[in-house]
Parts: sequence; structure tokens; C-alpha cells
Amino acid sequence: MNKLVKLLLLLCITAAITSGCAVNRATAHIDPATNLSALKTLHVRKFADDNANTETLIADRLRAQGVKVTADPQTPPAGVDGVVTYVEKWMWDITMYMLELTVVIRDPQSDFPLATGNSYHTSLTRKSPKEMVDEVIGNIYKEQNK
Amino acid sequence: MIRQNHICKHVAAPAAALALLLAGCASPANRQAMIPQVLGPLQTHPYSVRVQSSGGSDTGALDSSNISDADLKSAIEEAVVSNKVFKSVVQGKDGDYELSVRVTSLSKPIIGFSFTVDMEAAWSLLKVSDRSVVMRKSIKSSGTATAGDSLVGVTRLRLAVEASARDNISQGLQAVSALKL
Repeated sequence: MNKLVKLLLLLCITAAITSGCAVNRATAHIDPATNLSALKTLHVRKFADDNANTETLIADRLRAQGVKVTADPQTPPAGVDGVVTYVEKWMWDITMYMLELTVVIRDPQSDFPLATGNSYHTSLTRKSPKEMVDEVIGNIYKEQNK
Repeated sequence: MIRQNHICKHVAAPAAALALLLAGCASPANRQAMIPQVLGPLQTHPYSVRVQSSGGSDTGALDSSNISDADLKSAIEEAVVSNKVFKSVVQGKDGDYELSVRVTSLSKPIIGFSFTVDMEAAWSLLKVSDRSVVMRKSIKSSGTATAGDSLVGVTRLRLAVEASARDNISQGLQAVSALKL
């Protein structure tokens, strides 16, 4: 009986550990008719459940890309070339970490997603919010150059 | 001995079963289950179309249910054919029109009795001859599965993912059918 208890606990631990260690995804897609380099001004719309000031990280990363970015008000200023929305998902494993970040660059009039980037890293390969933003935005612009 | 039995029966065994159930059973959204059935009277465009899909992802053994690009493409193609939205569906680089569907978000709950999955996809239709954009539309959909649909969490999540995809395809094809080409 003692062996059975040990075996079951071992299975529990193995399942719990392995379920959080191996999933990594980083993808980006751009609408074929979209030219990202033509989007000179973007507005980042704050996500309601932003836990890490991701809005500012995204805005800074886009500025490094040479884009003029506004970020503060919910309503974008008139005349922007695109609106950036994002969704972040957090998970707890000893400490909280950003599990997934999706960034979408949208047409300001129709809300149509012009470009999308997504990164998903589980606990053992977790990245800081800044690294997640770097990866997602970097992949979106890399996709344009393909 | 009594204490060991108690641990085995009431703690370790259920915990192991639960952990294994949660950890290793995810399966991808089923292609057939993503096809909307009858969409009502739709206009048939007398042209051929080729379908492309992107933004989906495969489902790893330790992942939660996702929609693969290939399955989404097949589901859309079958729905186009069964609902006669276009005269024909072609493969490769042929076709009068190109329908591109890009999954931009698939928001899945982590825990709960009733799972609601929200999906957004970018639908665009291009005229192949001059590459002009005929339609560009962001389509948002959702699908819910309850404990009545399945008691197993991973299955319930897959059913909700399939329902959201079905709703998305349904809305998308209705929008395409309503176009004047």
C-alpha cells in the first residue's frame, strides 16, 4: 500500500511539473495587403486588466521601431494610421509571470486586424513582460520583411 | 495503516487522477465539428475561390485545445461547398477569388464549469486578377460548453473552441455571401 501511495504521488508531481514546462509559441501574421512601414503613427489602447504597464512597454518598443506612438487616452487621436490592442494572460507558479501576450495592430476605422503577434511561454521558459513585448513586436516587423 | 489507507483513498488517488486528467488529454478542435450546418438561404457567387487560413496553432499534448490552420481551412472549404457560397473551391494558386481567414485571438478560460471561448478572426476576400480587396472584416464569435456537454474539462474546452469556430465561420460566410461580386 505504501508503494502505491508513493507511486501515485510521484505521478502527481510528474504531471504537475511537466504540464507547465514545455509549451513555447511565438507567431506573427500580417494581412497580405498591409504595408507596416506605411503606418507612421500608432495609438496603443490600454488593456483593461493590464498588470505590468504593458501599454508603456509596447509604446516604447514601437517608438524604437521608428513609429510615432500615443498611448494614454482610450480614444485614439484623429488621424492615426493604426490602433494597437493587446491581451495579456498571467499565470502563477511560485511567482506570477506573463504566460501569453497577443498584440494586434488594427485599422482605426474598421477595427480590422492588420497584423497580429502572439507569444506563449510557460513557467520554465518564462520571459519578463519587456522580453515578451520585444519578442511579439519584433516578430510582427520581421514578418513584414519576409 | 488506517491513516495510509485514508491518504491513498481520499487524497493521493483522486489527486493523481485529477492531475493526469488535466495534464495530458488536450486534443485539437475537430475539423468536422467546426463546420456550421445550414446557414440559411445564401447567395451563390458564380466564381471559384481558394481558401487560406493562418494564425491557428497545433495542440501539444500538454497544451489546451487549439485550432490548426489545416483544419480551419478544411472546415471553411467544406462549409463553402455545402452552403454553395461559391461555384467551386480550388486549391493552389488558381481561383477567381482568395478568401483568407486569420485567427487573431482565441481566448480560453483556464478553469470553470461553463467554458466560454471568444474568438476573433480577420476575414478578407481578394479578387485574384487585380489583387483588389473586396472585403475586410473582423469577425468576433464565442462558443460555450457546459458541464452538461461534458464533465471532463479538456473535452468541455474543446467543445467550446469548436462552437466559437463554428460561429465564426457561419458569420464569415454570411458576410461573404452578402457581397455583390
